[in-house]
Amino acid sequence: MKKSTVLRYLFLAVFNSFIVYAVPLTITFESWFLLSLILIIGLLVNIVYFSDRFLPMKWILPGMIFLISFVVFPAVYNTFVSFTNWSTGHILTKSQAVNILESRSFTPEDQQGIEFDLYVFQDESFEFYYLADIDEQNILFGKAVTNENIPDSNFAQHEPSFKQNGEIFPPDGFNLLTGKDQIANSTTLQELSLVIDKNTRAQLFKISVFGASTGLLSSTSQLYTFDESTDSITNNSTNTTCLAEIDNFVCNGKEIDPGWRVFVGFDNYQKLFSNQRIRGPLSLVTKWTFQFAFVTVLLAFSVGLFLSLVLNKENLKFQRIYRAIFILPYAIPAFVSVLVWKGLLNPDYGVINTWLSPIYEILEIEPIQWLKTKESARSAVLLVNTWLGFPYMFLITTGALQSIPKNLIEAAKVDGASSLQTFWRITFPLLMVSISPLLIGSFAFNFNNFTLIFLLSGGGPPVIGSEVAVGWTDILISFSYKLAISGGRGNLFGLASTVSIIIFALVLLISAVSFRYTKRLERIYGNI
Amino acid sequence: MKNNKSRFIVILLMLSMVAVACGGDTAEEVAETPEVTEAPKETLAAPATTAPPPEVIVVWAEEKVATALDPLVGAYEAAAGVDVEVVVYDFGAIRTDVQTAGPAGEGPDVFLGAHDWVGELAANGVLQPINLASVASDLFEVGINAFSYDGMSYGFPYATEAIAMYYNADLTDGVPTTWDDVKAACDAAGTELCVGAPGGGGGADAYHNHPFVASAGGYVFKVQGGFDPNDVGLDNEGALASAEYLDTLVKDGVVASTDYGASMSAFQEGRSLFWMTGPWARNDASAVNYNVGLIPSFSDSPATPFVGVRGAMVSSFSDKKLLAESFILDFFATVEVQEAMYNSDPRLPATKSLFAIVEAADPIAAAFAASASNGIPMPNIPEMGSVWGPFGDALLIIRDQAYGTNEETGVTVNSATDAMKLAAEQIRTAIAGG
Repeated sequence: MKKSTVLRYLFLAVFNSFIVYAVPLTITFESWFLLSLILIIGLLVNIVYFSDRFLPMKWILPGMIFLISFVVFPAVYNTFVSFTNWSTGHILTKSQAVNILESRSFTPEDQQGIEFDLYVFQDESFEFYYLADIDEQNILFGKAVTNENIPDSNFAQHEPSFKQNGEIFPPDGFNLLTGKDQIANSTTLQELSLVIDKNTRAQLFKISVFGASTGLLSSTSQLYTFDESTDSITNNSTNTTCLAEIDNFVCNGKEIDPGWRVFVGFDNYQKLFSNQRIRGPLSLVTKWTFQFAFVTVLLAFSVGLFLSLVLNKENLKFQRIYRAIFILPYAIPAFVSVLVWKGLLNPDYGVINTWLSPIYEILEIEPIQWLKTKESARSAVLLVNTWLGFPYMFLITTGALQSIPKNLIEAAKVDGASSLQTFWRITFPLLMVSISPLLIGSFAFNFNNFTLIFLLSGGGPPVIGSEVAVGWTDILISFSYKLAISGGRGNLFGLASTVSIIIFALVLLISAVSFRYTKRLERIYGNI
Repeated sequence: MKNNKSRFIVILLMLSMVAVACGGDTAEEVAETPEVTEAPKETLAAPATTAPPPEVIVVWAEEKVATALDPLVGAYEAAAGVDVEVVVYDFGAIRTDVQTAGPAGEGPDVFLGAHDWVGELAANGVLQPINLASVASDLFEVGINAFSYDGMSYGFPYATEAIAMYYNADLTDGVPTTWDDVKAACDAAGTELCVGAPGGGGGADAYHNHPFVASAGGYVFKVQGGFDPNDVGLDNEGALASAEYLDTLVKDGVVASTDYGASMSAFQEGRSLFWMTGPWARNDASAVNYNVGLIPSFSDSPATPFVGVRGAMVSSFSDKKLLAESFILDFFATVEVQEAMYNSDPRLPATKSLFAIVEAADPIAAAFAASASNGIPMPNIPEMGSVWGPFGDALLIIRDQAYGTNEETGVTVNSATDAMKLAAEQIRTAIAGG
C-alpha cells in the first residue's frame, strides 16, 4: 500500500473518531442544528476521501467547509438578526421569558422581612420535611412539596416538642440534615416549600454550613401565571391580567421585563432610512467612510510604490536591510502601534507637537490640536493608517515589479522612451494588472477598519449638533458599533446588524464594479 | 485484489480507533452524569465511600477579584462539600457574556460585576432576585439602592468606589475646600498643571466629570423611587450654572485638558498638583508622596461623585440558585471573606463591619469613603446607555474648549450652556426614539 493511502486512512480515522465523539455531545446539549451540520460534513468528507473519484473535490472541500462555517454562516446569521428586534429587554425566546416570569414568587406586604431558622429532615424513604422555627407559637413541621403538589398538601403542624431548650430533636425515623447534606441536595430543595396555610408557604433561601439555614415566607401562588389560550400573564399580587403585545406582556400600559425576540420584518431597515435621527449621521458617516478608505489606499499605495521603485535598483547597497526596515510597521501588531501613535499625537505632551513646535513658532500659528478638531483628527487617522498600510503595498509592488519582463523595459529604452515615459506607459499598467485586485481588497479592508478608528480616535471628536452620538472620524462599522451598544435602552443588536448588512452591500457593489474594471485592464495588457 | 485486502485492513484499524474514541466518550459520560442528574438522596445511610461528586458553583470574576477570591473559597469547599470554580473573566465581557451564555444553557451561577449593569441584565431576564434580608443590617444603604431595580434586589454589594482628589503631599498640605481656592493653591505650588482629571484631551469621560455639573442641582435622571428615565436634568438651572463654572475653571487653567493617561503621568511626574480619580489608582499615584482629600465643593454644594458599587449576582439561568445564593449570603458576605478580599484588592467596603476595620487602618480609604458618602449611585437603568455618549461628549467640548459650528447640521455650540442643552436634548431623543 502506498504511503499516501496510509496517511489518508489515518487522517480519516482520526477525523471520524472526532465526529463520533461529537455526536453524543450535541445530542446531550440538544443542539440539533450543530448535529445536522456535523453529520453532513462528516458524510461529505468520508464520501470524497474514501472514493478514488472526485479528485477536484478533494482539494476544494476543506476550503469550502471553512468558507461556510466562518464566512457564509456569520453573514446569514447577521442577516437573520437584522430582521429581529434583538435589543436590551428582548434577548430571550418567548418560552424562556415566560419561564423566568413564572419562576418569580412574591411575599404579601404584611409578611415581608419575616425570616426564621429552617431545619431540613429526611424520613426513611428519603422524602424531605421542613421545620420552620418562626416563633414560640409557630414551630411548624410538615412535608416539603413541589409547586404542583401545593394545592393537595396538608398544612404544616405546630410541633413545640421538636424544639427543646433551643435544640432540635427530630422525631423517630427522621434524620436532621446538616448544612453540608442540604447543599448536596440543594437542587432538589430549591423546588420545595412547606405549606403553612392556603396562601402562605415557607421556602429555604439560605443554606448555612456554619449555623442554621434560613427560610422566608412567600405566597403559595407564583407572581405571574401564564395562560396560553389567551396569550396573557396574570399578576397574582395585584390580580391584573396582562396581554402579550408583539414582544412584551403589557400590564396597565407598562411593559413587563423581560420581553422576547420576534421577527420585525423590514422595520430596522425602515428605521434606518426614514428616521431623521439616524439618517442624518448615517449619510455623514457613509461619505467619510468612502473618503477614508479611498484616500488611505491611494496614499499607502503611492508611498509603497515609490519606495519599491527606489529600492528596486539592482546595484543598491544594503537593499535587503532597507526592505526589512520598511516592512517593520507591518510586523508590529496594529493594537500596539496605534496606541503608540495615540500617545505621539497628544497635542500637549506628544512627541509630534514637540518636534513641530519650532515650525509653529516660525509660522506663528497655534499648535495643531491633534484628534481634537475635525480636520486634525481626520488627517491623523489618515496619517497613521498610511503608516500602517504602506509596507503591505511596498511588499506587493516589489514582488510585481520583479515579475515584469526586463526586455520590455529595454525595448522601450531602445525606442528612445524617457524613464518617466517607460514608467507610465509600460511599468505602471503592467503593475496594475496584478495589483488592482489587491487594491480592491485593501479598500474593502479599510472600509471596515474598526481597530484603527476605535483605538486611535474612538470615532471622535464628537459631531456637534448631531442627534445621536457620532464622531467626525466614525466610519460605518464603528458607527454601527456605537448604535449596537448605546441605543435608547442599551443594546440595539437588530439595528446594528442592519447597518452591517448595508456595509456588506456597499462593499459588494464596489468590489463587483472594480473587478469588472480590472478585467478590462487584463484584456488590454494581459497579452503583452 | 491486493489493494482491496489492504483497504479492508485499514478499515478494520479505523473501526478500532473509532471504538477507542467511543470508549473514551463513555468514560467521560460516566464522570459527568451524576452532575446532570439530581443529587442522590442517600444522606441517611450515606457511607463515605460512595459520596456523590460535589456540586460545582461556577463564579465569574475579573482578574483582580478572582485572584483575591480564589484562595478563600477552599474554606467553603471543605465546609459545604462543593467545588467552587472561580473563572477569571474580562470585566466588560462578563456583562455581555452572561447574556449570551445563560440563555444558551451555559454561563456562571454567580458573577461579580458592577451595579450599573443591573437594569440591563434584569430587563433581559438574566438576573435572579436575591433576598438580602439576612445581611441588610450590615450593608450601607447606597449599596442596597444601587442593586435595586423595579422593586427587587439583584445583588449583594461588596465594594463601592467613588472618585476623590489626590494631592501631591510634598507640594501642598491638602485640598482646598472650594474650587475658588484651588487656583491659589496651584500658583503657590508652582506646578505646570493644576488639576488633572480624565475627560479632556480627546477622551470623553462623563464618569469623572459628573461632580462638575451635578453638584449644585443638576442630575442625570431624577430619583423618584428609582431613576426616572423621563426626567433628564442635565440642562436645568443648576446644571447650566455648574457647567459655566467648569468652563471658567478650564479657561483659568485650573482644570487641565487631560485624558486618563495624561492626567496620570502628569501627577506621577509631579507636573500636576492634583489628580481627580478613584481608589483603583492608588498604586499609580504612589509614584509620588500622595494623600487624598475631598473634591472641593462648589460654593455651598459638596461635590457629588458618581458612586459605583460592585456586587455578587446570581444568574437566572443557573440550575443551582439556592446553592448560589447560599454561597453568597452564608460565605461571601461574612466579614472574614470581605476583609481578605479587601486585603488583596482594596476597594471601599460596602459592609459596615468591614468599614469599621478599614477606617482605623487606612485613612486614605476613609477619605474615599467620605467622598462616596456625598455621591449618588450611577443610574442602573438601561436608559443610561443613551447617556454616556452625549454626556461625555458635552463635557469633552467644555474641557477641551472645542466650541464651534457643525457645517452639516448648522448647529452652533459656543458655550458650556449650549453643550449641556444639546446633550440633554440628544439623551431625551435617544430615550424616546428607542
